[in-house]
Amino acid sequence: MFRFILADLRRHWAGVVAVTLIVALATALGVVVTLQERALRLGSARAADAFDLVIGAPGSETQLVLSSVFLQAAPLPLMPGSVLAGLVADPRVAWAAPVGFGDFVEGSPIVGTTAALVEGVGGVSEGRGFEHIGDAVIGASVGMRPGDRFHPQHGQVGGPGGVHTEASYHVVGRLKPTGTPWDRAVLVPIQAVWNLHRHEEHEEHGGQGDSEGQGASEAQPGQAEPHSFFAPAPASDEDGHDALGFDAAVDPAAVADAGAPGLPAIVVKPASIADAYKLRQQYRSERTVAVFPGEVLTRLYGTLGDVRFILSMVATGAQALVGAAILLVVTVHILQRRRQIGALRALGAPRHAIFAIVWSEAFAIIGVGLCLGFAVGYGAARALSTAFTAASGITLPVTFEPADLFRLGLLLLVTGIIASLPALLAYRQPPASALRG
Amino acid sequence: MADLTLRDLEVRFPGLERPALEIPALELRSGEQVALTGPSGCGKTTLINVLTGLERVRHGHVDWQGTDLVTLGEGARDRWRAANVGLVMQDFHLFPGLSAIENVLLPQRLARFRLPRGAKEEARRLLKRVGIARLDQPVETMSRGQMQRVAVARALLAHPGIIVADEPTASLDGDAGTAVADLLTGLAREVGATLIVASHDPRLVGHLGRVLRLDGGRLEG
Ligand SMILES: Nc1ncnc2c1ncn2[C@@H]1O[C@H](COP(=O)(O)OP(=O)(O)O)[C@@H](O)[C@H]1O
Ligand SMILES: [Mg+2]
Repeated sequence: MFRFILADLRRHWAGVVAVTLIVALATALGVVVTLQERALRLGSARAADAFDLVIGAPGSETQLVLSSVFLQAAPLPLMPGSVLAGLVADPRVAWAAPVGFGDFVEGSPIVGTTAALVEGVGGVSEGRGFEHIGDAVIGASVGMRPGDRFHPQHGQVGGPGGVHTEASYHVVGRLKPTGTPWDRAVLVPIQAVWNLHRHEEHEEHGGQGDSEGQGASEAQPGQAEPHSFFAPAPASDEDGHDALGFDAAVDPAAVADAGAPGLPAIVVKPASIADAYKLRQQYRSERTVAVFPGEVLTRLYGTLGDVRFILSMVATGAQALVGAAILLVVTVHILQRRRQIGALRALGAPRHAIFAIVWSEAFAIIGVGLCLGFAVGYGAARALSTAFTAASGITLPVTFEPADLFRLGLLLLVTGIIASLPALLAYRQPPASALRG
Repeated sequence: MADLTLRDLEVRFPGLERPALEIPALELRSGEQVALTGPSGCGKTTLINVLTGLERVRHGHVDWQGTDLVTLGEGARDRWRAANVGLVMQDFHLFPGLSAIENVLLPQRLARFRLPRGAKEEARRLLKRVGIARLDQPVETMSRGQMQRVAVARALLAHPGIIVADEPTASLDGDAGTAVADLLTGLAREVGATLIVASHDPRLVGHLGRVLRLDGGRLEG
């Protein structure tokens, strides 16, 4: 019987291959949607792991999370420097670190922060943390080495802007891999970002007066206003290093100064869960917003879930159509071969053998298509994730869970039931047709 | 085996006014060789379907040595046919993709889980007997005459007591037809089986001991 089935499938190999591929593609479509959505969920949740609470100036909470956790460059409103001072002094806070966006280097965002955040995202695997204002700690996948020096650039590579030739950072360490956009970031002390911008503004004002030491626009407490971090720099003249203070040691007290410049975002590690809620409560005010990134992500997933639902409906629809079309093809095929089936019966094959043959062939074709579809879908999801990681730095872990196997099993079960329709049709073919033309 | 007693047979098809077959009585003896002739559409194939249990009969008795096919269900008729009837059909019904010997063995393979002991040797012997030299030649590469000879070997494999052929030479040319006709009559005689052949081929009809002439579903004479 096995030989007969094989010979039969081989004889109709073109149709068999076509049907198998169609089933595989329809299946892969659904599998990709499921796996990719799960990967996005896992990957973004993992990226937000180190960020319990993010505080920023009032504005879009989603943008605040996207900018601080996922380092999506966007102009954020600033909150006064005193906010960070207050948090650092707060006993409910384990650590708090600023996230200030500086410039770029080779496409990597330069993030101004403090040693607390370097530890918070996992610490260094190589070299050391900040000691001087001009020190930089690079993310795991940044293409530089400790010991390198670089000049920051305004804006993205290829975009408008210029090189701060007067500023030169010194790479002193590398972060452990995190599978997050921070792998592509370059971390520098926030003071370096402040100094650089103060220096620029100083030059913009033609060096007249002492604009209070801080950026004029940033020094207005209680005032949240948009600020572009990526404004083109004016042509710089030759200034010594000392003008930027990059050689000075990092002073932890500087960020705790109530008069410090404004900040777009602060990452807070609360001492306890209870503290986290209290802090969020307290910092939801007119001057600041406080968000749990996890919460914002959940909200995003809600939207994502709707998209997934639509996509999976599309995939399911495609699968149903493919299923119906195949059933039709198989039925026509069975009817065309009714004489052959009748002949098998006439020659002494029992009806259950006919049923078994047709069922096995249909089940084998569709089942192989399903398994192939799961493999193709998994591969495609992996490829998509890799492409996404390359573009965003966020690792999207494509996982195959028991639930997926269960789904495959369920689909095979349904296939088994569906395959019995043509098998039943063949089973009921009257054998007398064998001798009729 | 054999000894057929047929009584009050009437077969009607939907859409036909007259019965396709109407035979009050017919008897065959064991080992008899019978030709079934008559013009096209006279009911030869229908009668063969009835005698082999392929067609369900609602009216009459078709009794083969005490087994009345009319009383048997579909499955029971299949089993009876597998055990007692060897069938040769006009267009062979060999299965492409399988070799000559696999085709001979196929009904046995499908009817039970394992081949009965000695089936392969018997298949080889029969193929040799019908003049097929290359046992593993794919059937689709054979001539029509060779194909029908493979079909004859297949019909004989399970040692049936009844050999039935429906126009076995109609799609063969002269020599091939004669060869198949000789094989059918010779082999049936060798194994002592009853042979029933529907045909209007004089080469075949002339060889058979008894001729039944059908016209409009009725036996003549
Ligand atoms: N399934 C059927 N439905 C209706 N009429 C049929 C059917 N099978 C056979 N017939 C009719 O029964 C008659 C006898 O057919 P058949 O036994 O095949 O003749 P033969 O084999 O002698 O040429 C023909 O008129 C044919 O059209
Ligand atoms: Mg006929």
